[in-house]
Amino acid sequence: MKICHITWEYPPRIVGGIARHVEDLTKALAKLGHEVYVVTLEFPGAPSYEELNGVKIYRATSEIGHPHFLTWALLFNHSLEKRVADVGVDFDVLHVHDWLTAPAGIAAKHFLHRPLAATIHSTEYGRSTLQSIDSFTIDSWEWWCTYEADKVIVTTYSMRHEVCGHFRCPWEKTWIIPNAVDSSKFQVNVDRNGVRGRYGVGSNEKLILYVGRLVPQKGVEFLIQAIPRIASRFGDAKFVIVGDGWLRGHLESLANQNGNRWRVNFTGFIPDQELVALMRSADVLVIPSIYEPFGIVALEGMAAGVPVVASQVGGLAEVVEHEKTGEYVYMRNPDSIAWGVERVLSNPGHAAWLVKNGHEAVERVYSWEAVAKKTTELYENIVKEGKRK
Amino acid sequence: MSLYYSPNLPEEFRFLAMLHNIGAITPEKALTTDEIAKWTTIDISTVQAHLGRLIDLGYIKTMKTDGTEKYHLSVDGIRKVLTFYS
Repeated sequence: MKICHITWEYPPRIVGGIARHVEDLTKALAKLGHEVYVVTLEFPGAPSYEELNGVKIYRATSEIGHPHFLTWALLFNHSLEKRVADVGVDFDVLHVHDWLTAPAGIAAKHFLHRPLAATIHSTEYGRSTLQSIDSFTIDSWEWWCTYEADKVIVTTYSMRHEVCGHFRCPWEKTWIIPNAVDSSKFQVNVDRNGVRGRYGVGSNEKLILYVGRLVPQKGVEFLIQAIPRIASRFGDAKFVIVGDGWLRGHLESLANQNGNRWRVNFTGFIPDQELVALMRSADVLVIPSIYEPFGIVALEGMAAGVPVVASQVGGLAEVVEHEKTGEYVYMRNPDSIAWGVERVLSNPGHAAWLVKNGHEAVERVYSWEAVAKKTTELYENIVKEGKRK
Repeated sequence: MSLYYSPNLPEEFRFLAMLHNIGAITPEKALTTDEIAKWTTIDISTVQAHLGRLIDLGYIKTMKTDGTEKYHLSVDGIRKVLTFYS
């Protein structure tokens, strides 16, 4: 099949998790023998066309800008739409990711007369509870995307409920296809003490890791609030917070206020290889989210062999099995987070059992090959349905 | 879209996002302070103050074309803006 993915982020342009998701999915689809195209936005240093891992990548230049984000988004969608047309291939199926490239995908669907698949990775309703005019507009774009798409892909049951409930999207129009990880990326030897040393953590101290954006939905403030209780039990606990976001200043102040700033290293973004090394050197990975449509970081932790402590929320509650592949904790609850961390740190045998089970789950359920096969099934389904119309 | 409900986002980062959205992301698309002030409807002295801070942080690069100073986002600056939108 000739498949065209339209996405506003694709490496090296990385905003959130979509870039890596689309990169790995398109690679896996190409491996299955499909002709795979990606149309995305420009990034300094990245060529306007290249072929990588069997995937043909076309980058569009956003010719006109505007200070207001939504206006700019409409303008860059026009550039993406033009790039799709310029590729000049008779695609069998188009595939967009989230609302940001929905207008380009919908336009291409109509001018090429080809079916459209849309993956809804998260919703504005879930991220923000719709607190501004722009938020309402984004919510409408998301509805429009689910309405126009021939099939809607969600990664978990919880997202299926959210999409079908909030957008009145027919249940049978949605398919659950989970996220995945390339576990081989995480099976590397690392100099554990050397890695820990780089982040100010001694070889015998406890390294508690957070990885993700520093925004409210990630619930990092509740992890910071849990530090005094964790530290009262483990005086040698050190916290490494990887990622960036507009909440960073507030979180640093919070750590200052509870007298534990010295225990916390805010690293900002770090390169992928370093992240893998850090995950493989940590004693526990905490994911304290209050909204999480899937929770890819939990899979990455399982692939890297670090015990996972995660909020029982949204997709995380489906990815992590309590007391089997990780520990659930209550969201927005520092005491519960502290309990989860203590449960792992004070029971090395139990922690090793969680790691073993987590790794098996990643290999069995969350491989890109399995996800690409299921996605192919969906493409075949919508192409067949299209021919019947 | 956290940018729209992020009361803690410092003004210079909002300004950085605007500069990104109007397309000043490569040397060829670099803009003068006058052009930036017109696009963003921010007065020149505030534009200069924001630029100074963002240059110190490594998010903005400067260049001279025909004796005129121009500004564009560095790759780190672009990555910083993208975190506001995720």
